[in-house]
Amino acid sequence: MSSMQTFTTPLVKENPVTLHVLGICSALAITNSLTSSLIMSVALTTVLVISNAAISAVRHFLPSSVRLLVQITIIASAVTVIDQFLAAFMPEAARTLSVYISLIVTNCIVLGRAEACAMKNGMGTSILDALGNGLGYSLILIIVATIRELLGNGTLMGYRLFELAHEGGWFQENALFLLAPSAFFIIGFLVWAIRSWKPEQKEKPDFKPIPLPYREER
Amino acid sequence: MSKDSPQRAVLVVLLTAVVCSSLVSAAVVVLRPIQLENQMLERSRNIMQLTGLLPPDRVIGDDEILDLYKSIDLRIINIDAASYDSGIDPGTFNQRRAQNDPELSVAIPTARDQARLGRRSRYALVYLVWNEDRLDRVILPVHGSGMWSMLYGYIALEPDLNTIAGMTFYEQNETPGLGDQITHDYWLEKWTGRQVYDDQGNPRFRISEGTVEPGSANAEFEVDALTGATVTANAVTALVHYWFGPHGYQPFLLALREQPPDRPAELKP
Repeated sequence: MSSMQTFTTPLVKENPVTLHVLGICSALAITNSLTSSLIMSVALTTVLVISNAAISAVRHFLPSSVRLLVQITIIASAVTVIDQFLAAFMPEAARTLSVYISLIVTNCIVLGRAEACAMKNGMGTSILDALGNGLGYSLILIIVATIRELLGNGTLMGYRLFELAHEGGWFQENALFLLAPSAFFIIGFLVWAIRSWKPEQKEKPDFKPIPLPYREER
Repeated sequence: MSKDSPQRAVLVVLLTAVVCSSLVSAAVVVLRPIQLENQMLERSRNIMQLTGLLPPDRVIGDDEILDLYKSIDLRIINIDAASYDSGIDPGTFNQRRAQNDPELSVAIPTARDQARLGRRSRYALVYLVWNEDRLDRVILPVHGSGMWSMLYGYIALEPDLNTIAGMTFYEQNETPGLGDQITHDYWLEKWTGRQVYDDQGNPRFRISEGTVEPGSANAEFEVDALTGATVTANAVTALVHYWFGPHGYQPFLLALREQPPDRPAELKP
């Protein structure tokens, strides 16, 4: 795979959220505001790049028995440092995202890419792969957050686009879009749309239904 | 040493632990002062919004906030004794820490515990705002259990110690879009001018069950309900009733009414 492909494949074709269905927890939790989604996207992409680069650099020294332990330690350290930076320089954002930044440690995309890419490839490839996957995740977050914040609140990044009905405008906001289930629906529709566009993403059925025994009409 | 030998595994794990923990510790130590400054700034900003000292027409910068904050009279009060306590430094007092300290806190009798707190600090940091030599506002910290989370806020009273001058919730984790409407300005603005106590001196303020009819008997004691957030709204009513009741600030407010405080001479104008 060329290096360009390493970067572009995870954007849509092998998107971590819509194809591998990873990173769903944060995609549900923080996408009710576009601002938090953007910060989360940057945070996750940064963590992913740091962890992929670090793990790829030490991959030849890692005994396979303690492989996961070392990977998680590296990921958790990167996340903690990013969390501290946010609390220092973007206190507002750190407060809104609260626990979800620390939860990047358990985001399956990060460990998934460490295992699937960084353990087997050089640093250059691993960093490109991290960037691609980070941006693929960001893309989905941004789409979901745009829909949710606009329909749920009439705002985008806090700027009022639609005047609310109870404040004298015309827009009746829908609180469902601020709750986690709406992210499920939107991601579901996205998966549907992408798989209609790229039918090769459809999974094969796990089993074939057994035909019912034929009964003669009495 | 082969790549998969146990010695090598231990070595690699130890090295990783040392390198990673040094990096994390360094980040925490270096960034800590900035984080503390942010917390201080955030708290000052919340207080300043209730003082009526901020210009309404523009957003003011951090330095100006901290400068204005110096003109506020910070006092530690002993809630149970209804008196000031000069033995505690307002700059370092932490009410949440005090609440969990058996020495500094008191259990709330179940019958009085409307806000479902369990314990409360014996002391509180209150803010007095002065206009020349006249007391302009009294700002009191309040908190109570909401639907999912603890609601933390400040409530500001006019000098009559009964009319609400403003309210803010600075920390909560209620349902987005429903319970978290308690932080929305358009709702909090409705608190301004409402009365806390009835003629007998009992807390009467509450969040209504619907829209408050202007001119009705309860209009001056009630604020409109929040759609879809009945539990949170009831929790807000409960916390006001607790903190303004006999186990809360009521004795202090009565004492304050009897004996108005003096403006400290050293306070910045």
